Formats: sequence, structure tokens, C-alpha cells
Amino acid sequence: MIKKLFTVRSLLILLAVIALFVVSGLLGLKVVLPEVSLAAEPIFYIGSFGVTNSLLTSWLLMIFLIVVSILATRRAPKNLESASNRDLVPQSGLQNAVEMVVEGFYGMARNIGGSWAPKFFPIIMTMFLFVIVANFSGLLPGFGSIGLLVRAHAPQAGHVANGVFLTGAEAGVGEEGYVIRPFFRAPSTDLNFPLALALVTVALSQYFGFRALKLGYIKKFFNFSGFKKGVLVGGAQLLAGLLEIISEIAKIISLTFRLFGNILAGEVLLAVLAFLIPYLISVPFYGLEVFVGFVQALVFFMLTLVFFSLAVTGHADEAHH
Amino acid sequence: MDVVGMKSLAAALAIGLGAIGPGIGIGILGSKAMEAIGRNPEATGQIQTNMILAIVFTEAIAIYALVIALIIKFV
Repeated sequence: MIKKLFTVRSLLILLAVIALFVVSGLLGLKVVLPEVSLAAEPIFYIGSFGVTNSLLTSWLLMIFLIVVSILATRRAPKNLESASNRDLVPQSGLQNAVEMVVEGFYGMARNIGGSWAPKFFPIIMTMFLFVIVANFSGLLPGFGSIGLLVRAHAPQAGHVANGVFLTGAEAGVGEEGYVIRPFFRAPSTDLNFPLALALVTVALSQYFGFRALKLGYIKKFFNFSGFKKGVLVGGAQLLAGLLEIISEIAKIISLTFRLFGNILAGEVLLAVLAFLIPYLISVPFYGLEVFVGFVQALVFFMLTLVFFSLAVTGHADEAHH
Repeated sequence: MDVVGMKSLAAALAIGLGAIGPGIGIGILGSKAMEAIGRNPEATGQIQTNMILAIVFTEAIAIYALVIALIIKFV
């Protein structure tokens, strides 16, 4: 029984969507094919240093995170050892939400990191928060669509500019073609950001390894203990140790490209889909991008945690598993 | 065949062939994880966490292929 399938309200919404399509088609409003540039473009220059759009966005995200942290911990007791249970109750909704998130991830960190979790947690949680807001920032309206109009270079035809708006019409032979250089761009789509995080992760894992195992950490890479059992075994162990160095470099590359590739591919996907079927197709893929952004941040968190944990457990402990 | 045609073909081949391996790998991972959960539902949390970790590693290979395809097409 189709009771209330076609209410007046749902028919009106359908009509409004169709009208949106028709009107935008008539007005000639078209989504332009995205001009994807892998490198971030400079927006303005401080002296001779070009501030790129992703750098500008990451500064804004840093300010956002710092402001939220200050607001969430403003009324928290300063001295946690001497605070009574009454003082520890969250004083604001924001503090409650932030505490919930931090506590949830601290539980995860304790599961995987064990007793070293308090030392690992600040850096990996900061990385997680920075990565997740960086991933989500690319989905905000205005990212990629509002920017400077620059002249198109030789292989691209560019589009005709109408005052400050870029129309969908391709520029002909005699006309000036313009492309948009966005003001804001998700930092994760700039290769420098994931690369910096990956380098910090691998460098810090070496630091934690040395701190936990003192100089014995070197034995992970230059393993001469196999020579006790014979030359062949010793040689194999030595080779395995040297391969660990290669594996550290592979960690840098994989961490970088995992985050970079996922978020950049998501951006390109959304832009191309918006070009193909405006308004409709973008919606489910937008949900996918939200999910992917969260999962990539979570994975960065977990991988960093696992790398740190592996660094502080020496080979001897691993054999006992 | 002109350069632009070759570039498109190269990009398509890069991501197409590059996604075969990780696709099969993630399928194997998922199926083994389902089996393990079915055998021992109490360990679901741990199995899930480790499965996600392993899936992320294999998916990274597909992402490398995707990045190469994007570089070929757009740079």
C-alpha cells in the first residue's frame, strides 16, 4: 500500500530540484573541469617566500585547533593531582566533547602501546587532530572554488572570465583564458604536509628506540649476534638488520603517499563528479570522503603508535610473543 | 598515436593494473577476518583492529598506483 509516498512536501522538493537543474542550465552555469595541480601554488609572497594555499590553510587550522584547545581546557583544574573529583567534572559542553575524544583515543593508545602510552600519546594525538581537521577542511565549501584568476598556460585553454566569475565557456583562440588558483587547499593534498609528518614519525621512533633500549637499539640494524651460531646464520641476520634500514625509508614513503594519495584522489574525484553530474552525484561521494578522511587520520594515529611500540620493544621481547 | 592519447592510456593502465593486486589482497584479508570472527566472536575487537591495520597497508599499494596515474595525467 503506497500510503504516504507522494506527499505534497516531497513533490515540492522534487520540483525544486528539477527547477534548480533547469535554471542553472539556462543561465549557463557550468562546473568547469577541474585543473588539478599536484604542487600547491603560491597565493601571496612575504618577501621572496611564497605562501602557498595549503600553507595558509594549515596556519588557519593550527589557529583553530589552538583556540579550541584553549577554550576546552580553560576551566579545567591546573593541578590534577590535588584536584578533587568534583573539580574534574567537565565545566562546558566543549570540554566534555574534547575529553571524550581524547579519552577514547588514549584507551586505544594504552591497548597498543602498553606502559609507554603516556609518552607517545601527546605527539600522536596532536598528529591525529591535525590530520583529521586537514582532511575535513578540503570538504568545506569554497576550497578549490574561490581563488585568484590567473591566466591559463599554453597547454590549457582556460575559461572565459566574466568580471570576477569564471564561466563554463572554454576560451577560444583569440580570447584570454583563465583558471582558478584557489585561496585555500587542504594541507593533506600538498605533498609537504604528509611528508613532514612521516619524517617526524620515523625520526621520533628512532628517538624512542634509543631512549628505551639505550645503545642496544643499534642492534636492530646491525645484528652481529647471529655469528655465534655460524657464519651463514650470522650473514643472514646481518642482512636482515640492514633491510630494517630500508624498511624505515619505506615507512616514510608509505606514510606520506597513503595520506597524500587518499585525500588528493578524493578531491579529484569530487571535482570530476561535480563536473559530470552536478548536485546529485557529489552527495554520496561526499559521505565517502568524510569517511575516508576520518579513517586516514585514524590509520595515521594507529600506524605511528605501532611504529613507536615496535621501536621500544627490542628483538628479545618480540621472540617471547 | 599522439601524446595526449598515450598519456590517457598510460594513466588508465597504471591505475587499472595497479588495483588488481590490492583488491585481491583486501578480499583475502576480509574473508580471513570474517572466518576468525565467526570462530571466536569474543575477539571481534582485536580482530577488527588488526584487520583495519592490514587493509590500510595493502590499500597503500593501490594508492601508489593512483598517484602515478594522477601524475601521468595531470603533470
